[in-house]
Amino acid sequence: MKKLLFMLFLWCMTFGSYAALALGKSEISISPHQQVAISGKIKDSKGEPIPGVTVRVEGTNLGTISDSQGNFRLNADADAVLLFTFVGYTPRRIPLNGQVNINVVMEEAATTLNEVVAIGYGSQKRSDIVGSYGSVSAKEIAKRPLDNVSQALQGTVSGVAVTSQSGQPGQGPSIIIRGVNTITGGTGPLFVIDGNIGAGGDVNVNDVASVEVLKDAAATAIYGSRGSNGVILITTKTGQSGKTQINFSTWIQKAEIPKELDLMDAYDFARSVNAQNAAVGTAEPFTQAQLDAYKTNGGTDWQRALQVKPTVENYQLDVSGGSDKTTYRVSLNYLDQPGLILNQWYKQTRFKSTLDTKINDRMDLKIYITASLPQSHNNTYGGGLGDPFNQAAEWSPLSPIRNPDGTFVQSSQYGSIQPNPIAQALSQASDDSQTNLNGQVSFTYRIINDLTFTSNDVYSIGSDLQQQVYGPGTANYVSGSDYAQDNYNKSHGYLTSNYLTYKKTLGDHSFNITAGYEQSQDENVNFQAKSTNLSTYSLGYYNLALGGTQQTSSGYSADALISYFARAIYSYKGKYELAASIRDDGSSHLIDKYSSFPSLGLSWDVAKEDFLKNSNIFSDLRIKATYGQTGNQSVGAYSSIAQITTAGNPSTGYYFSGYGGPASNATFLGTPAPTSLKWEVKTSYDLSIDMAFLKGRLTFTADGYTNKVNNLLYAVPIPQYLGGGTVQKNIGSIGNKGLEFAIGGTPVVTSRFKWTTNFNVSMNRNKVLSLEGLDNISDGYGIIKVGQPLGEFYGYKFLGTWKTDEASQAALYGMKPGDAKFQDLNGDHAYTSADYQPIGNATPRYTYGFINDFSYDRFTLSFMFQGEQGNEIYSQTLAYLWGGLGDNNNAELEAAVPENLWTPAHQTNNPAWSTTSHNYNNSSRYVYNASYAKLKNLSIAYHIPEDLLKRVHIRNLEVYVSGQNLFTITKYPGYDPEVFNGNTTNDQGQEFGVIPNPRTYTVGFRLGL
Amino acid sequence: MKTIKLMLFASVALVMFSGCNKILQEDPKASLTPATYFKTQSDLDGAVSAMYVVLARDGSWGFTSKETSYFGSDDLTTDPGLNKQDSRDFDRLSGGSDNSSMEAQWQGPWACIYQANNVISNYQKVNSTDALKAASAGQAYFLRGLCYYYLVRTFGEVPLVLGTIDPNSRPPRADVASVYASIISDLKTAKGMLSTTLQQGIPSTYSASAILADVYQTMGGWPLNQASNYALAAAEANVVMQAGVYNLNTPYDQVFTTNNSSESIFALQYNVAASLPQRSYGSTNVPLDEVALNGSSGWDDVYPELNFFRNAPVCTRTNLTFYTTLKIRNADNVTFTLYPWDDSHTHARHPYYKKFRAGLNGDGVSETATTILSINPSTNKAYDIMRYPQVLLNYAESSDMAGGAPTAAGYAAINMVRARAGEAPLTPGLSQLAFRDSVVYERAYECAGEFGVRWFDIVRLQLLPAVVAARDPSENAIPPGVNIQEKYIAPIPYSEMILNPSWKQNPGY
Repeated sequence: MKKLLFMLFLWCMTFGSYAALALGKSEISISPHQQVAISGKIKDSKGEPIPGVTVRVEGTNLGTISDSQGNFRLNADADAVLLFTFVGYTPRRIPLNGQVNINVVMEEAATTLNEVVAIGYGSQKRSDIVGSYGSVSAKEIAKRPLDNVSQALQGTVSGVAVTSQSGQPGQGPSIIIRGVNTITGGTGPLFVIDGNIGAGGDVNVNDVASVEVLKDAAATAIYGSRGSNGVILITTKTGQSGKTQINFSTWIQKAEIPKELDLMDAYDFARSVNAQNAAVGTAEPFTQAQLDAYKTNGGTDWQRALQVKPTVENYQLDVSGGSDKTTYRVSLNYLDQPGLILNQWYKQTRFKSTLDTKINDRMDLKIYITASLPQSHNNTYGGGLGDPFNQAAEWSPLSPIRNPDGTFVQSSQYGSIQPNPIAQALSQASDDSQTNLNGQVSFTYRIINDLTFTSNDVYSIGSDLQQQVYGPGTANYVSGSDYAQDNYNKSHGYLTSNYLTYKKTLGDHSFNITAGYEQSQDENVNFQAKSTNLSTYSLGYYNLALGGTQQTSSGYSADALISYFARAIYSYKGKYELAASIRDDGSSHLIDKYSSFPSLGLSWDVAKEDFLKNSNIFSDLRIKATYGQTGNQSVGAYSSIAQITTAGNPSTGYYFSGYGGPASNATFLGTPAPTSLKWEVKTSYDLSIDMAFLKGRLTFTADGYTNKVNNLLYAVPIPQYLGGGTVQKNIGSIGNKGLEFAIGGTPVVTSRFKWTTNFNVSMNRNKVLSLEGLDNISDGYGIIKVGQPLGEFYGYKFLGTWKTDEASQAALYGMKPGDAKFQDLNGDHAYTSADYQPIGNATPRYTYGFINDFSYDRFTLSFMFQGEQGNEIYSQTLAYLWGGLGDNNNAELEAAVPENLWTPAHQTNNPAWSTTSHNYNNSSRYVYNASYAKLKNLSIAYHIPEDLLKRVHIRNLEVYVSGQNLFTITKYPGYDPEVFNGNTTNDQGQEFGVIPNPRTYTVGFRLGL
Repeated sequence: MKTIKLMLFASVALVMFSGCNKILQEDPKASLTPATYFKTQSDLDGAVSAMYVVLARDGSWGFTSKETSYFGSDDLTTDPGLNKQDSRDFDRLSGGSDNSSMEAQWQGPWACIYQANNVISNYQKVNSTDALKAASAGQAYFLRGLCYYYLVRTFGEVPLVLGTIDPNSRPPRADVASVYASIISDLKTAKGMLSTTLQQGIPSTYSASAILADVYQTMGGWPLNQASNYALAAAEANVVMQAGVYNLNTPYDQVFTTNNSSESIFALQYNVAASLPQRSYGSTNVPLDEVALNGSSGWDDVYPELNFFRNAPVCTRTNLTFYTTLKIRNADNVTFTLYPWDDSHTHARHPYYKKFRAGLNGDGVSETATTILSINPSTNKAYDIMRYPQVLLNYAESSDMAGGAPTAAGYAAINMVRARAGEAPLTPGLSQLAFRDSVVYERAYECAGEFGVRWFDIVRLQLLPAVVAARDPSENAIPPGVNIQEKYIAPIPYSEMILNPSWKQNPGY
């Protein structure tokens, strides 16, 4: 709360000073109002009337819409300026100059291709861009209650797979553009915000003016070594000269976990425990009387006990304005998002101020100041065996949550042996508080008319304080390893991009040449203090001196990147475009530091050729072909240096005299250093076609691409006699090919009703091409195997159960009917790792989005479906709940009740409890089809009429209700087909106790003053 | 004017952009690197401590997973159901190479050998006294020898890595005899470097002799069958006995509830508060039927086989070893009912180990005769790798096997152990083999449940047929078709096999 107040103060101060600056320079004139009636008719270039055109009086909220005959009528000052806008037409601005009746001709704009959009180190008309781009507008973003700009890409841009991997508050989604291109490091794209490269996706959605997704190498090669996962360019809003505008918006949301698993109640669970004991010949612990009692009381519903239905609140405030020379915009955002389980929350405060001033005719200066202050409490449950969310499904319904004296039950004789989830969730505290500040200066200097110098300089500082206490009530306390801990991390860094841009048109030839230099450095220091066995936990993590054993550790890391880049774009008659770029990058992380990344692209605007110029069908037809290389330096700092490591954990050293004695210091020889390390290089080819028909009423885009990544970096496991662990190496190549289609249209437009629709679908096929001698890399339940796609699951193929007539065969395996049966690949009558095989894959074959907007008068109804097809999930959650891993303890699924398991009379494929059966966790039994289609958003918005609002001096007011993830069509039996806890290429699709994405109901309004 | 501006600008830009390639050179300010390390004795001390930490911790020898492949022994079994599949598979002589618990047996010793090689390669570089350097290096040779001794007995042929090697090299598995030769060389070197003064947690020269005696004795049996080593074994054991620094004065139960008793020859040290718990004591040995007053319950991981328990000698040691009356908490959550181990109220109908329950003075299981206060998995109990009774019994056996008949000194040695156990002296005048079998029997119960001691006797004396025959039919069933002769060594872990494509897996796996 203090932080919020501080931010508010900062915001007011900044706003005040900007406003003074702007007002000081602007001339404020108040002219007398003299309203007259204006009427007119709007036609297109062929003389046909255009209905539905929005007519507005500039600088006011007055406006109307043309009728079916193209006529309009309104009242305005005699010297007012009218603005005419309509989809598919170039807007017009007409000063009245005393006219009361005007006829307006509006020209068809072929598409939105004339808008100027950001490209790397510059901007270009969309129509001139050679590479493959996708965009999301501020308008599209505003349709959903988003707290993260990445979410805006879900379902909206072809070739971009966005999945919300967890329902934890504050959790950003994962973004994969055109398939996975690395087997180590992150798969996420590079974010560039107003020229700040690598800024991360932490942006207030209300600040975003536009988002451009750079997909092919022709577009991304200018970012060289950082571009191979694709690039997302975000341009933020700036102030407009004129009247000061204030916008306030808010939404309030009710969230809930959309699904509960069907688990056993106390009666079923006790029966199941009896059955398990009977199967191994031990005594059945529950008598019929006890069973009957459990039937009556039902036991504990741990899922319900842990879940909450939080209210999420989001507030947005911005003020903007300025004079002819200087504009400003200041914004503030506050999000309060409690989690879906007990004692968990995320809060985010964001501030941004933008000042844009023209120093003189030749110089322009933009200053951005950004602050982001996320705070969280216990949102560290990434999924895993001991996570409370997972344990809520595994704890015995027979056990109460608390003892009669009010203390927590710490262990249960049946069910899970992990900590009591409610005790854990309520008793622990794992808090995180970050301060991220960013100052940026963009200076442009037009040296001579055609030559411009740009310097973009960013300085960032960040700090992250993590504080944890695992005291009474937690499993740590029970086992005597209770502790409190503070971690502090401080980082700072700079980025300076300096480049010259030369633009020249000579007759039919035009040139756009950019060349520059870029350098960045980052430095991180951190320290940690941990205190164990505190004499009292009443002070939480605030006084570590209370601990019996105190440990400290600290660390440092730094990295640097140096780059040179150049790009030339040549256009002939505006029909033929050629773009070429090259970037040379040097990284501190590598042994072979430098590498070059070239690109080349060609574009042909067929619609401008004589044979199509006057076509009634095509309003646009464009064909592009591109080639390029990008890189990835996904190894961390110091990967090439052998190190002596010190133990923060498990201990500072060795206690020669054991318990109670002094600690010796311990220094460990780390894993050996690699002998060579170079960039991953991705080579891509892309062919695309853009078409627009019927004056842009219908658009179609198709892209085909193929790419290959060489020198794959991988942390290769090394034998234990070499110290175990991993060594970074360049080891092989993978390829991706894909197709993307997007269709957009405005099927219906009348003066009052309009329907726009967009559908996009993408398919990517991925394949491991070589691993330099290794046939495969297997890690846990995943495998990277030559000839197979990434995301492959690896284990036994489950064949059901041995049936009674297979008794003699089962005996060869030391098994009996009712035991689990797996495929024995080598026929040695034993299930060993030699029988492992690929048993499924996490990557979707198709991803798609379907977006529709219907507006009627002042109502707008929008809905969006998003889905994935052909992906599978390897559910450890369900494996455990089926009693996998030979751990009958956790067999809690209702589907695993004794009558559903194999019996001689009822030979199902669910193995019976048995001492000879193997219930391997890594079997295809737990691989599930996770294809899904989700109704991501459904919203209804209403714009309050401006003339009503004018009386109370309100510029605009929109109210809306919406719902997110309202329903999901899927066969997946787990919580949510969208979530999993694998973050690396090798464990994607592996799910273990991850909190699902919430279903939410939202109300909100947007107010403009 | 334009040109001047341009020139001016270009020169400024040039100055700004002039390459600062030196920022691409990395300087890991917070990390020590081998290039700058090993300057002082304190650097060396840090590297020495590291050997112990990696061996003692969880994932190495900190938990019962360190004996996963030894469950084929009669002193170890586990629950027929529950999450005990890894140890149960080996109990059924059916463990596979993908057994994840078994990885502790591979990783732990190798991690220690890797750190020991670091010490051995570098100790001479430090600026310190020769005595201090030798004391450090002696520990490294000792631990390296000890770890190879566990590896070769558990997995058979293993690669001999005795220094720093290229990260790309994949050495072959060395034959068993070469590995033993290296072990003997290491332990002899250690013996010469280690101190004669006993220091807690640090091996002495006698620790090296005690392990060396055990190594020689093992070499007398399978697979090397070099009978000439028995004399060497007896001689090394005798060195320890003659030193007079260890005794059996500590009562048997207190050996397992206190640290570093008068018979502890080498023990790994533990400290829960420093995240280095010993988890072979406490919960792991407690039946899951038992729930303490504070709600904690047993893990049911390890207990003895029925006939191993039934065949135990009648003596105080047996009473202190086995836990035969279970305390089951009543529905009131306050009082307990006592049930004998074979009562139908107990789920496993097996006795358990009493000696491993308490941990260090009750930090494992805290209990009275009728009440369990708490059951904890993490204890501060030091873990004895070698106790004086083992030296006495090794002396008795080796002197017997070396000379053709038991000796008076051999009888004296075993009778010291029997006396402390509350047993009468061994029948005099036994034949060589009868005496040897008496020692093996004595060792089984003196060291029941202790980290592979019984299993390695079964291996070197090829006792599996007898052990399997003596197995109670209600134990976890050994599948038909299992080739017992192939089960004396464990498979190389799958995770390691795939990193060494030229290796051949042990037969039977």
